[in-house]
Amino acid sequence: MPGLISPAERDYILKGIECNIRADGRQRADYREVTLETGVISQTSGSARVRIAGGTDVLVSVKAEIGPVQVDPETGDGADKGQIVCSVECAPSASQQFEGRGADDLNNELTQMMTRFLSNSTSNPSVSSTASAGAGGINLSKLCIIPGQQCWILFVDALVLDYGGNLVDAVFMGARAAIYDTRIPKTEVQDLGDGQFEFEVLDDAEDTEFVEGRENMPICVTLNKIGARHIVDASPLEELCTEARLVVAVNRSGELCGQQKGHDGGIEPSLLLEMIQFGKTTGQTLIKQLDARLQEEADADLAKRQRGEPVHKLGFFAQ
Amino acid sequence: MASFVKQTFEPVVSTNLYPRSQIDIYLQVIQQDGGMLQACINAATLALIDAGIAMTDYVCACTAGWIEREAAIDLNYIEESSDTSEVTIAMLPKSGKVTLAQMESRLHVDKLEEVLSLAGEGCKQIHQVLDKTIRDRAEDLARKMAA
Repeated sequence: MPGLISPAERDYILKGIECNIRADGRQRADYREVTLETGVISQTSGSARVRIAGGTDVLVSVKAEIGPVQVDPETGDGADKGQIVCSVECAPSASQQFEGRGADDLNNELTQMMTRFLSNSTSNPSVSSTASAGAGGINLSKLCIIPGQQCWILFVDALVLDYGGNLVDAVFMGARAAIYDTRIPKTEVQDLGDGQFEFEVLDDAEDTEFVEGRENMPICVTLNKIGARHIVDASPLEELCTEARLVVAVNRSGELCGQQKGHDGGIEPSLLLEMIQFGKTTGQTLIKQLDARLQEEADADLAKRQRGEPVHKLGFFAQ
Repeated sequence: MASFVKQTFEPVVSTNLYPRSQIDIYLQVIQQDGGMLQACINAATLALIDAGIAMTDYVCACTAGWIEREAAIDLNYIEESSDTSEVTIAMLPKSGKVTLAQMESRLHVDKLEEVLSLAGEGCKQIHQVLDKTIRDRAEDLARKMAA
């Protein structure tokens, strides 16, 4: 909540990090406990809520809607692809600095980051097997219904309900979980001949598809440089002491899907490489753990449904 | 919507106890299936009590409308968007006074009394639920503090 930090506090945090002991007892490479649940909003195509112990609370929802394709006027690209539209909003109640228009800059920054990492397509033809998927991993061609006319648009909206540091990681973890949970109705396309097509959305709630390429979605690891060392999962006070911040987006296979440097300080090239490498390994471990839990949750829900039991989501009642 | 909530709570919150300060009520709608204003008012009541802000009474809200040939309370989105009239009432349960009555559709004046009284009944039901929740939580907190 505070935007100010005293020199004594700053020194305490700095010296602690040098000794690998952070203010709350963690080591530099330790994450706080993450609680995650999918399917918390019934009227969406997919949703997830991520909470990091210490206060960060992010709600991500995915709504699949049908809309016209967007063709790039220069490259002619996009006629046979769906779209992903991301937006991040920080609720004014999340933190005192978000009151009124205080969150505008942060909202813009996070929205741009999400858009860049998740929906930009690579124009590099040498990437053969993933040519139809962008850095975001999701197969956009599969989202197309009628080439040149209609496609699925996935609206990914993240709402930051509470601020406790490390928003970027929470938002991307939530986005990955929400897309993992997303089910898109099947469509039936009829060729009326003469270049005319008609399609129908099948209304069967049981007969839906997962988003193809959802396993390849990246998550982000935020590394904060404090002093000569870097830490992950910064608390709000540690974020105030940060000289430079590096956000590394990495996917399951260890590929780098994007990165962004923030704050005013500089990073030495050798440290930069070390941070990227560290971010990559941490990210891969995180994805493995995340996927294991998501699969566990999905299997448990499926088992309950098959037994005819109702599936109760804790949602906002989760402690 | 925000101005409705504001005018509903202004007379109920004892602002004279909090001079030179501002009370911000943030309402975040995550998803809705009809009855948004009533849910906002009920949620704001609970939040204000949870914050420990002094109020003269609970504010309980309920919607009621006329569907086909009958009055009904708590209309959902499909019922709201079809050609039914709907009125939202906010009431102070101790005195029975109505602090907000909002309606945007047409309703025959003969049916108004039945709809309003039904909404009042709904408010009393909501009051019981809100009161029970607050008391359970207070007991829970008291137990934890005493331990």
